[in-house]
Amino acid sequence: MAKLIGKRITRNEDPRLLTGQALFVDDVELPGMLHAAFLRSEYAHAKLKGVDVSAALERPGVIAAFTAEDMGDAWSPGPPLVIPPPTIEDVEFYTRTQVPLVKDKIRHAGEPLAIVIAESRYIAEDALDDIVVDLEPLDVVADIERALDPDSPLVHDDLESNLAAHLVQEKGDYAAAREQADKVIRRRIVIERGIAGAMENRGIVASWDNKQQQLTVWDTTQSPIPIRNGLASMFGLSEHQVRVIAPFVGGGFGPKIMMFYPEEVLLTWSTLRMGKPIKWIEDRRENFYATTQERGQVHDVELALTNDGRILGLSDDFLHDTGAYDPYGLTIPLNTQCHALGPYDIPSYSSDLKVIFTNMTLTTPVRGAGRPQGVFVIERMLDIAAKELGIDRAEIRKRNYLPKDVFPYDNLIIDQAFSSFVIDSGDYLPAMEKALEMIEYEKFTQEEQPKLREEGRRVGIGVVSFIETTGVGPYEGARVTIESSGKVSTATGVGTQGQGHFTVFAQIVAEQLGVDVRDVHLVTGDTAQFHWGTGTFASRGAVVAANAVNAAASIVRGKVLELASELLETPEEELELEDGVVRVADIPTKSMSLGELAQRANPLRGAVEPGTEPGLEATAYFGPKYGATAFGTHAMIVEVDLETMMVEIKRYIVVEDCGTVLNPLIVDGQLHGGVALGIGNSFYEKLVFDENGQLLNASFADYLIPTAAEIPRIEIAHQVTPSPLNPLGSKGVGEAGAIPVPALFAQAVENALGVDGLEILESPLSPQRLFELLHGEETEA
Amino acid sequence: MSKEMDVTVTVNGEVFQRTIEPRLLLSDFIRHELNLSGTHVGCEQGVCGACTILFDGLPTRSCLMFAVQADGHEIRTVEDLGTMEDLHPLQEAFQEAHALQCGFCTPGFLMSILPVLEGTTDLSEEDVQRAMEGNLCRCTGYQHIEDAVRLAAEKMSSGSES
Amino acid sequence: MKIEGEHVFNGSREDVWAMVRDPEVLATMLPGTTNLNQLSENEYEGAINLRVGPISGGFSGRIVVEDEVPPEHCKLVAEGEGRPGFFKGSGTVDLIEVDAGTLMKYEGEIQIGGKLASIGQRLIDMTSKTMIRQGMKVLDAALEERKANVMD
Repeated sequence: MAKLIGKRITRNEDPRLLTGQALFVDDVELPGMLHAAFLRSEYAHAKLKGVDVSAALERPGVIAAFTAEDMGDAWSPGPPLVIPPPTIEDVEFYTRTQVPLVKDKIRHAGEPLAIVIAESRYIAEDALDDIVVDLEPLDVVADIERALDPDSPLVHDDLESNLAAHLVQEKGDYAAAREQADKVIRRRIVIERGIAGAMENRGIVASWDNKQQQLTVWDTTQSPIPIRNGLASMFGLSEHQVRVIAPFVGGGFGPKIMMFYPEEVLLTWSTLRMGKPIKWIEDRRENFYATTQERGQVHDVELALTNDGRILGLSDDFLHDTGAYDPYGLTIPLNTQCHALGPYDIPSYSSDLKVIFTNMTLTTPVRGAGRPQGVFVIERMLDIAAKELGIDRAEIRKRNYLPKDVFPYDNLIIDQAFSSFVIDSGDYLPAMEKALEMIEYEKFTQEEQPKLREEGRRVGIGVVSFIETTGVGPYEGARVTIESSGKVSTATGVGTQGQGHFTVFAQIVAEQLGVDVRDVHLVTGDTAQFHWGTGTFASRGAVVAANAVNAAASIVRGKVLELASELLETPEEELELEDGVVRVADIPTKSMSLGELAQRANPLRGAVEPGTEPGLEATAYFGPKYGATAFGTHAMIVEVDLETMMVEIKRYIVVEDCGTVLNPLIVDGQLHGGVALGIGNSFYEKLVFDENGQLLNASFADYLIPTAAEIPRIEIAHQVTPSPLNPLGSKGVGEAGAIPVPALFAQAVENALGVDGLEILESPLSPQRLFELLHGEETEA
Repeated sequence: MSKEMDVTVTVNGEVFQRTIEPRLLLSDFIRHELNLSGTHVGCEQGVCGACTILFDGLPTRSCLMFAVQADGHEIRTVEDLGTMEDLHPLQEAFQEAHALQCGFCTPGFLMSILPVLEGTTDLSEEDVQRAMEGNLCRCTGYQHIEDAVRLAAEKMSSGSES
Repeated sequence: MKIEGEHVFNGSREDVWAMVRDPEVLATMLPGTTNLNQLSENEYEGAINLRVGPISGGFSGRIVVEDEVPPEHCKLVAEGEGRPGFFKGSGTVDLIEVDAGTLMKYEGEIQIGGKLASIGQRLIDMTSKTMIRQGMKVLDAALEERKANVMD
């Protein structure tokens, strides 16, 4: 049996994508299709008194225009996508979810006020200008700390304050730890918002066919199955009448998993009412307002240590900005709470989380999903401790790592999957050693850096360690079928946004069944083909879906052997599957092709044994007991130009342990992309809001997604500590590249500037901000 | 309302005649009038480069042009490079180097890099960087794209077509 | 956004003040103004078409004059909205006698929102300076014409 898992196999899906033959949502063209545009609020907070669409309806080419009033009983705030964990005691949580169209009060700039449906997008946008909106601007809640002032305006008037949630998680006894500590360090850390910035904006085509009583929705979603179930339920349809297709999607990174975006509800409601297909494609400016964002938090942290750098306890009071609504529960800040523990042995922990409503776009996970903030907190505190205690930064980390014999290790706090945060496996020391070796840490810190410093050059080095929870449940499924042609088809529910599922899953099937990877045809993201599962998020495709694929393929392999054994009159142990045939080990001429076997397994005439399942097909599901925890160490060398305050990354090292690597080519790509996004998060990207909640940089001209010029070549080393939680031993890796970067950036740049007392306790940075920090000035935002 | 105009455009060697609104963007014309959906729209602000096509041989942001400006001109889109069965060496290089993940920005990259390689395959490191700097990618981190450019230069300089 | 500056007019404070409070003159001051009406002693309303880079469209707005001390000082409070966005701001205008005539000092703070704020940022500053410069030219010319008429 050829070994395909672990091979650098080029992708099955590439020819289609490279030649412009891949279907993205905006490529869907249906006869009679109409086009929608949304009128969105320019104000972040206002009383909505009226929306008058009459002038828009007069415009030639406009077919319809709807407001919240027109929706009647169909109007309701969306169901929450994620509830707070029932497993944490004393959680204060106020569910307030987004609305399809604003009825009484606008709560963030970009909230939709009306939908116009016209013959073309151009006419629909013209018609938006015809709509008259009567509103009364209100004072804006734009700052999460001031949001809790007693005289702050309220985002939700039926609540007493802008507190969306409050919970405390503790283990050990922090107060005691603090008493015993030789060193207590206290700092305030501020992290600000950024966007996911997928190259493809969101889009939906919704088509209700009245004759066939079928609803088909093409959606750039990462979770087609829950969308389909939710829409069916919301509009009183049978799930079988609803087909949601996530075709090729141009990047997800998190915000494309939401339920529901107002547009998903409106397009569906509109097509059901009008009986015509309707398309809406988000434009880039809309994306900055109408698609979710992430990362805003303020931490007051304290770290208690012994004189030799051993952590006795960590205490973290933090605020998390959820935006105007909180449909995604506590996922992001719970991740922050868990990842602030890092790969370290922290006996006492107290984390007090307050989630705050603000008049800003909703916060839902963006690649990293709260983990980067947790990592930033602990890594920065360790760096400061290292400085104050006179211990090398790598050394202090080594002294605190969980040793490799403690796994599975229960951190005794609850994570985003509602269960206790248990780390399944880990081996942190070798990853650190490898990173130090690759970046030539000693040589740089002891020889090169001092020499360059003398020449006046500000060069610095950074090394950070992190963990990443991945592969969370609940489950995914897959169906594998050998067809009469001998080719194999596989279907699974997770959508794909570039992760290489068409290839990675094919490799697994191909290895089990002895066929060519190119002969495995994968369908994903189409609820008509597979309708059980949750979606692509939290770095789980390679774990949960892959293991389901593996399980299904393995069952089919069993069926193949059983049938072939009977037909070839040979015991199963003597059979092998290779090159698309089943053959007897020493007698290669005694064989049957898989295609032939498939035909034999599905007779058109005759009788079958009772209890026989037709064909060579199997459906299997996989749900891990809990999520596998990947980990790694990143290191980099930077130089800061004191005149321009630009940071040049001279070297970037990634040592990554994501368990069994299914396809190194694809994993490398995920790491490169993750690090690039992390570099953007660290230095180039920042959403700039003014005190009225107005976004001042809603375009790529002013929100700087890194180009090739800003991203260095990344050197990667893999470590493999297989996960005991699944047969493949794999862990997720989709977010790993991005998670430690801001912490690494802060450490390296601080080291490069080399100024006593200059501490970087915020993210993102920028040339402007570095200048301010260096020269101790405050300039206006 | 804007009156309509006649345009005659040569796209990938084929001549098209259409009557369209003056304000119709070239990107929308290519994608929806001509159904060549390989060219993608990422920002409509001229920054991301996903909509890059060749206009009389020069890489151009089709989202920043009106279709009527293409009247009498020649356009090449990604569909002109190769087919799924017969990829252009540049496309092959992209596949071999894993230079695409979601694939949305890819046609823009191909059309930006192609004229560089058709000009010369003797590229310095700076040339390679410059060929790539006008396009945004959020998935790959650019490293594999850089590898692909070098690989394509190799393939195209040896004159091999497959 | 802060707006501040000064300009020397070739005329007396009284003349400059009268001009600044004359809606017919003000209507021509900022390019793109389509109308300006005086609603009461101290209130004006009007409409203006603006172009800031890729953003263009009409605004309707209101200006209220407060704290008047003719011919030295007044405060202007303005707000308006339109397709390109909305704005709200206030500022002061001071007229000081100098040898060359009258020095006008103006200083204010304006908050901008909507499309204009989110895409036009880098151009707003430049555009506002250009508009004010053009406006001052108009006022200079109007002042000269006024003086010429008086002399006749």
